Amino acid sequence: MSAHPVVETRGLGKRYGSRWALRDCSLEIPAGSVTALIGPNGAGKTTLLHMLIGLSRPSAGEVRILGRSPREQPALVLPRVGFVAQEHPLYRSFTLAELLEAGRRLNPRWDAELATSRVTRLGIPLSQKVGRLSGGQQAQVALTLALGKRPDLLVLDEPVASLDPLARREFLQGLMEAVAGEGLTVVLSSHIVAELERVCDHLVILASGGVQLAGPIDEILGAHRLLTGTRRDPGAVARIDSVIRASHTERQTMLLVRAERPIADPSWQVDEVGLEELVLAYLEQQAGHAAPEVGRLELAS
Amino acid sequence: MIWVTWRQQRTETLIAALLLGLVVALLVPTGLHIASVYDSEGIAACVAKPSLDCGGQLDQFVSRWDSLVNAVGWLNLVPALIGSLVAMPLVLEFERGTFRLAWTQSVTRDRWLAIRIALIVGTCVAAAALLTGLMTWWRGPLDDVNGRFDGFDFEGLVPFAYTLFAAALVVALGVVLRRSAAAVGLAFVTFIALRVGIATWARPHYLAPLHETSTTGPAGLALRDAWVFTERGDLRTAAGTPVDPLAVRGCLTDPGAKRLDNACLDRHGIVETLTATYQPGSRFWLFQAIEAGMFAALTLALLAFAVWWIRKRIS
Repeated sequence: MSAHPVVETRGLGKRYGSRWALRDCSLEIPAGSVTALIGPNGAGKTTLLHMLIGLSRPSAGEVRILGRSPREQPALVLPRVGFVAQEHPLYRSFTLAELLEAGRRLNPRWDAELATSRVTRLGIPLSQKVGRLSGGQQAQVALTLALGKRPDLLVLDEPVASLDPLARREFLQGLMEAVAGEGLTVVLSSHIVAELERVCDHLVILASGGVQLAGPIDEILGAHRLLTGTRRDPGAVARIDSVIRASHTERQTMLLVRAERPIADPSWQVDEVGLEELVLAYLEQQAGHAAPEVGRLELAS
Repeated sequence: MIWVTWRQQRTETLIAALLLGLVVALLVPTGLHIASVYDSEGIAACVAKPSLDCGGQLDQFVSRWDSLVNAVGWLNLVPALIGSLVAMPLVLEFERGTFRLAWTQSVTRDRWLAIRIALIVGTCVAAAALLTGLMTWWRGPLDDVNGRFDGFDFEGLVPFAYTLFAAALVVALGVVLRRSAAAVGLAFVTFIALRVGIATWARPHYLAPLHETSTTGPAGLALRDAWVFTERGDLRTAAGTPVDPLAVRGCLTDPGAKRLDNACLDRHGIVETLTATYQPGSRFWLFQAIEAGMFAALTLALLAFAVWWIRKRIS
């Protein structure tokens, strides 16, 4: 593959009327990575993904997918990108066989064997009408359609949001299997962090229409620590700019900090941070408010 | 791409075919009946030889089918139904969000849109051709007697334009509203209002109607195949003075009918004049071209708007 990052955005923004749904978004997503795009509802995740695959026109900045503009060179970009839209829309009146036939006819790089064997393995009958499949099966079919294109980049918008926990697990399992084989690059958005850690190796946190944090998950986790110690003055710790979140009980202070170097101060007990906790801390910080947990915690951010 | 498009509009196309099948089932037997009466009762011969004075017979032949012609008038809705059905699958793409699936296959959206619209236009034209051909054959005997203006809505070019207009209207409303039921409902109301409005208020005035008086009897004006707005018969002396009709009672061919014997009138030095305001039958194709042109222009405007909306607003 070329030296280009698979996805590259510079100063990307999208405005609806006078409101910016996404602003000044600069990202590079390397080949072969699996990136989780995380953020609350309304953070601009869907807007960003739609601009990546050319469904939506940027109001500012630019997008390069495999070095090309998805809006200006759609005929070159589209065959190399697979997309699963939110709620995975499908032609409900088609049988599964007809839907796969549509995939074959609409995509020059279509891999019929991959698609057929995938749905067979999942036990979804080809003669079944797509509209009568379960939500989990429809999500799997949508993923199959995207994978059948043999894309270099796979983009999924909230693929598991509408699924029950079991279907969610099965879907992510299927995704991991698909990723394992090829040098496929994946970007998937979610507002649910749980279970993503098993699938993803890169993270982008999107909040309030902008990128809050981006990078490889292990580097991000390695650069953050959870400090626990005797209670300090909330005003004092709030001024330390590497503190992402501070919480205080009567006797203890807990800090989530960005630590470039090991923490030397022996008065702190230093622990590693979990991905979910880290993401929540960033989202709370961004939101600028956080409800104190009943009776125990008082948040000082 | 064409296969996929066909598969998507298969159900709607079958419903449209079924609808046209019903129309065929209504028109073919009745049309055969009209044609056989036309031949067997000497109407055809009357039409072929205008010199035979059988105006009464012709009028009787036409009025005999009045209720059937009125019933067939409901087929004016067929172009709207066909147009809606054919446009529906495209609207459903936007209602159900599957356009995001379609636009992320390897076909660019401009090509996708071009093929979708081409298939809509093609299906509309095919359906309109069938309907127009059938109706022109069905109305053949009536048109031979009374000219084609009576069948204006069903013949020539306008049925094509109506069908395409209905489809374009549903597409344009559908992409904006993204709700097929609302789009079709609104399109129907608009379609009917526009069709009735134009036929009632605009069509009579495409060209100024002729207003003429014949002094050589009712046959002096070619009104048989004309679209007649007003028609008035008078009796005058050769000098032009109006004559009281009671004065020529003796010239009635028979007491029941309203027809006067010409030789008798001549003896009294009285002429029968006819004054009419009308569009002559020779203007049929010009009027067809004007009205079809209007609806075709609306169709193009609506399609251009829909394409613009899809390309700029839904993306």
